[in-house]
Amino acid sequence: MIAPGPELSPARRPSKINVRVLRQDGPGTPPYWERHQVDYEPDMNVISVLQKIAAQATTFDGKKVSPVAWDCGCLEEVCGSCTMVINGRVRQSCSALVDRLLEDNPEEIQLQPMTKFPVVRDLMIDRSRLFHSLKRVQAWVPVDSYFDMGAGPRIPREDQEQNYPLSQCMSCGCCLEACPQFNKVEVIRHAGETDEAFDARKKQAYDAEFIGPHAISQAMLFNSHPVGKNLQKERLETLTGTGGIQACGNAQNCVAVCPKEIPLTTSIARAGRAATLHSIKKLFDR
Amino acid sequence: MNVPPPSAPSQSGSLSGFLKKHDFIIRRLHSLSGLVPVGAYMCVHLVTNSSLNGGPAVFQNAVFAIHSLPFLPVIEWTFIFLPILFHAIVGVWIARSGQSNLRNYRFTSNKRYWAQRMTGYIAFAFIFTHVLHLHGWFHWDWWLGFVEPLGMAQFRPYNAASSLAEAMKSLGFVWPLFYLVGVLACVFHLANGIWTAGITWGVWVSPSAQKRASVACSIFGVLLGLAGLSSLAAVSRTDPATAKAIEDQMYKVRVDGHMIQPNEHKRSDGHHTGSSDPSHNGTVSANEPK
Amino acid sequence: MANNRVLVVGGGLAGLSATMKLAELGVAVDLLSLTPVKRSHSVCAQGGINSVNDQTRQQGDTEWNHFDDTIYGGDFLQNQPPVKEMAYWAPKVIDLMDRLGVTFNRTPEGYIDRRRFGGTLYKRTAFAGATTGQQLLYALDEQVRRWEVEGLVKKYEFWDFLGPILDDNGRCVGAVAQDMVSMEIRSFAADAVVVATGGCGLVYGRSTMSVFCTGSAASRCFQAGAKYGNGEFIQVHPTAIPGADKLRLMSESARGEGGRVWVPRKPNDTRAPKQIPASERYFFLEERFPKYGNLVPRDIATREIFNICVNEGLSVDPTRMCVYLDLTHIPRHELDRKLGGILEIYEKFQGVDPREEPMKIFPAVHYSMGGLWVDYEANGEGGLLPGSPRNQSTNVPGLYAIGECDYQYHGANRLGANSLLSCIFSGLFVGPGIVNWMKSNKAAADLPKSIFERAVGEHTARHKKLLSNASGAGENPYLLHQELGDIMTRTATVVRYNNQLTEAYEKVSAMVERSQRCSLADTGNWTNQNVIFTKSLQDMIPIAQCILKGALMRDESRGAHFKPDFCMPSLQATDPTERRLEAEKWCDAFEENTNKFLKSSVCSWKGQEPDLVFEDIDTRLMKPRPRLYGLVGGEVIEEVWKQRSRTKEESAPSKPAAAKQLAGSV
Repeated sequence: MIAPGPELSPARRPSKINVRVLRQDGPGTPPYWERHQVDYEPDMNVISVLQKIAAQATTFDGKKVSPVAWDCGCLEEVCGSCTMVINGRVRQSCSALVDRLLEDNPEEIQLQPMTKFPVVRDLMIDRSRLFHSLKRVQAWVPVDSYFDMGAGPRIPREDQEQNYPLSQCMSCGCCLEACPQFNKVEVIRHAGETDEAFDARKKQAYDAEFIGPHAISQAMLFNSHPVGKNLQKERLETLTGTGGIQACGNAQNCVAVCPKEIPLTTSIARAGRAATLHSIKKLFDR
Repeated sequence: MNVPPPSAPSQSGSLSGFLKKHDFIIRRLHSLSGLVPVGAYMCVHLVTNSSLNGGPAVFQNAVFAIHSLPFLPVIEWTFIFLPILFHAIVGVWIARSGQSNLRNYRFTSNKRYWAQRMTGYIAFAFIFTHVLHLHGWFHWDWWLGFVEPLGMAQFRPYNAASSLAEAMKSLGFVWPLFYLVGVLACVFHLANGIWTAGITWGVWVSPSAQKRASVACSIFGVLLGLAGLSSLAAVSRTDPATAKAIEDQMYKVRVDGHMIQPNEHKRSDGHHTGSSDPSHNGTVSANEPK
Repeated sequence: MANNRVLVVGGGLAGLSATMKLAELGVAVDLLSLTPVKRSHSVCAQGGINSVNDQTRQQGDTEWNHFDDTIYGGDFLQNQPPVKEMAYWAPKVIDLMDRLGVTFNRTPEGYIDRRRFGGTLYKRTAFAGATTGQQLLYALDEQVRRWEVEGLVKKYEFWDFLGPILDDNGRCVGAVAQDMVSMEIRSFAADAVVVATGGCGLVYGRSTMSVFCTGSAASRCFQAGAKYGNGEFIQVHPTAIPGADKLRLMSESARGEGGRVWVPRKPNDTRAPKQIPASERYFFLEERFPKYGNLVPRDIATREIFNICVNEGLSVDPTRMCVYLDLTHIPRHELDRKLGGILEIYEKFQGVDPREEPMKIFPAVHYSMGGLWVDYEANGEGGLLPGSPRNQSTNVPGLYAIGECDYQYHGANRLGANSLLSCIFSGLFVGPGIVNWMKSNKAAADLPKSIFERAVGEHTARHKKLLSNASGAGENPYLLHQELGDIMTRTATVVRYNNQLTEAYEKVSAMVERSQRCSLADTGNWTNQNVIFTKSLQDMIPIAQCILKGALMRDESRGAHFKPDFCMPSLQATDPTERRLEAEKWCDAFEENTNKFLKSSVCSWKGQEPDLVFEDIDTRLMKPRPRLYGLVGGEVIEEVWKQRSRTKEESAPSKPAAAKQLAGSV
């Protein structure tokens, strides 16, 4: 149903919005800034700005260009797709309301791709490393089968209330973008390299680097599940291995930028404690 | 369906490969070394220094007590210098593994992240210079003969306050300013380091616990900082000549009373650079009481 | 089965549950998705998932009641065996999800907490805060990741499904897809293809659906010969937050947890909502539907809200149409615990705290009950025969459809919290059937390469043709999409009129040709979203035609499909005898209408437009009865109807069990 939007009446409502987009035609090509201008409408968010830019496909000075590429999905901040750097800060573009952005900077809105992931094109980035981290920590409950075996273990409300926020992580990558300890890893495909060889090389490169706050938090989530716990040791091995929890520098940006307000630093500290106990235990059980 | 954890990448055998493979243990040792012995030593050091506020005699007594320890150079190197060097070198490697983004994310804890690294660099430079300035790092005569004329290795344990005061005055306001900045950087680095170590080791977990710990660490930092500042103030108030007279008297009494062995190397007067003593032939034995 | 491969298209709840079940059965799966599967539209589902449970059971609830509510809520437009099977499986589905670690809300004692949803009187709905779909999806995503590490599942994310590949006998032996990054077009040989690509909200421009819910994948199957059923049944959700780019859902759980819908009794009341005393608030759902209150089925709530704004002029905002959804009487901590997720959405996008001030909401296109026609095989009890290759199979052998993109479970109107159930259930249930299907067929990998090359060639040609359209001269695909959305929203949502539908159908049919003339602003061959979007726009049009044609041909009102010119009136008479007589007539008319229209509309593609036939419905378990939520005179009609059923039962006692259930539950 289309119901017309509410007529906002801020005094400083512009008729046009200036947008500067950091574009890049593909991996390995140089990025460049491009200026666009779109008509202002009440209730806009960055997605609707980008939709207008796509429909116009014309820059500020009338040059025909290809539409800006970007990624989006649910538009209500639960899928994590549309994460980008807006006016210097990482966030979802769907929940970035234009009126608010203009309050901060009436001159223009600045859009950039995330800087910690390889750019695919324009604002689209390749976040496969983020998902690979979830494999590294084996973020799942190792059930026996999917046959009907009755209900799962009873879970105290307190545990559910601790775990639910962690399981709201939508893998958007904000925490990684803002983390000063998480550095970009870009593996460039060799000419003629097969998919398998390229994937293997990427995997190796990812495995050597910081796993990231999101994965640490997921490891804690599954370590506190009655059955998920069965992989506790393996997860702690990963967390104390290369690129594990020790890479955290306690800047705590992750928790500050997380759109879902997931207590990531609490997870990190819990993981720190578990890692301490795990390594002491290992030292004496050897 | 038990999936083995992904294996660590094959090691190239390079230093960075080694560091990466043993990342966890190295960083935990780094964290630990910052607390014990380095941090703990720093507390003792600054509190001892602040005893100068009680006058040269009180300070000299404290130094006598420290110098009554046997095998002091061994202790110095094992429990102080090597841990500091380890902490500093690994610290630089850690600091260089991250990229501060304070410009876009001006959160308090991010500022602290940045400050921890900055104060780390400052502390590195400060401690290196400070040890050279007063202690000299090594006590080989040929080395001392080289650095002492440059204004280094100036501290004399048995003329503690006076030699210190002299050393501090040698370049006008340069040394006091240098020590002011250096000491405050070290204090911040330690206080904030205790806080982050508490997270790293999982001592304070919840945000509220971390907040309480942060308050406690701040109070600790302020107190330790005051100790450091008061020492600097006390040094600036100390008149070397008066202090030296007291120290020499104390030395005499102790030597006469067989409480210490006479050791001219630890005194301002008896210290003659370049004079070769047949018993001085090793690195660590160079400074042993005769 | 080492050589067998299945291609699953779509990684939402249905696609992922099918993938993990197939992997468990030892089948290698290629999983193709437009987006990383963890970002699929299922994340947007908020409220919960239904099943009978220990508590409701002791209050008299049974699987049969769940089945009954689903059929009754759907106005009997479903083939009953699959729905029955689903209702009976529901508790098992929730148990499984519980074991997979879904963080369902808990009672203080540690059991799964439940809330009440629309169209039922029992607290059947398990939920994880107000992000149940997200939590369920993540649990399945994690399991599929586990199989990926095991090597049985290979994911192809950011790939666009272009169409099924049929061999010369019409069997589906794979699909053609395009890498949305490199734009490579290639074929995937598969012994079965499972389409789990969700709904088609984008046909309406703006809806509560995610941007990739274009319906184009289903349309590509449809254009390749699969039938499309009940397209005209589009659920318009009663409560959504209007927005410029999207209409954001405000879950039914807000009402399930006690939220109340109201408007000021006085039109154009300018007072702030909190200043309006209770006596001057019109809780119109509660007043008109005392039994179900704010939890009437969605189609009814939607029509009432629409009506109160459009016809009665009681919208609470002078500049746009909306009503209040009020939660302010519920304690803050309770709201945060059970509804946190959706309240944050409102707060973030509207800048108003719904714990302090009533939300302003209006209906929005939300779900497609219709979809690809699928088959089933019933067992002796009227449920499904497990392991039958016919279950969930489209009319194209080897091509399966599950989840929102099949037409089978929700009839004319879906009950809240049944969609997550139907997705997971159909995903789990389809697996064994596919395994049996593959046993009796030659492996696709052994077929001649030419079949696959030909298909790739066709799609490459289509792609190249689009890219070659001279820039600037033709239609702008984004504007054309807007136009399509406007037409569809205006004519084929809450209230439908034949003259409007006819006009809309003509306009949309003209778009078949217009969309071929789209010219692209981007003609490159790297991450060209322009061409991907244009292709999906072209393929939205056949679905739009199915919706409009179905709506046009169905001259009745049923569930979400409402035509004021063809609806069963309320009783007018006040005199009891006359009223009784009127009720008799009403029942006659109802029976006549049932005979005529209790049928699925099934479309087949004929090149330019769909061909529609009506197909009988399998009502073997439960005979249709009038859906009387809140109708004036409903009690008299119910009485007459019961009497008639009893008479019929006595004269033809063929299905005693079912009839008994029927009499008992009306």
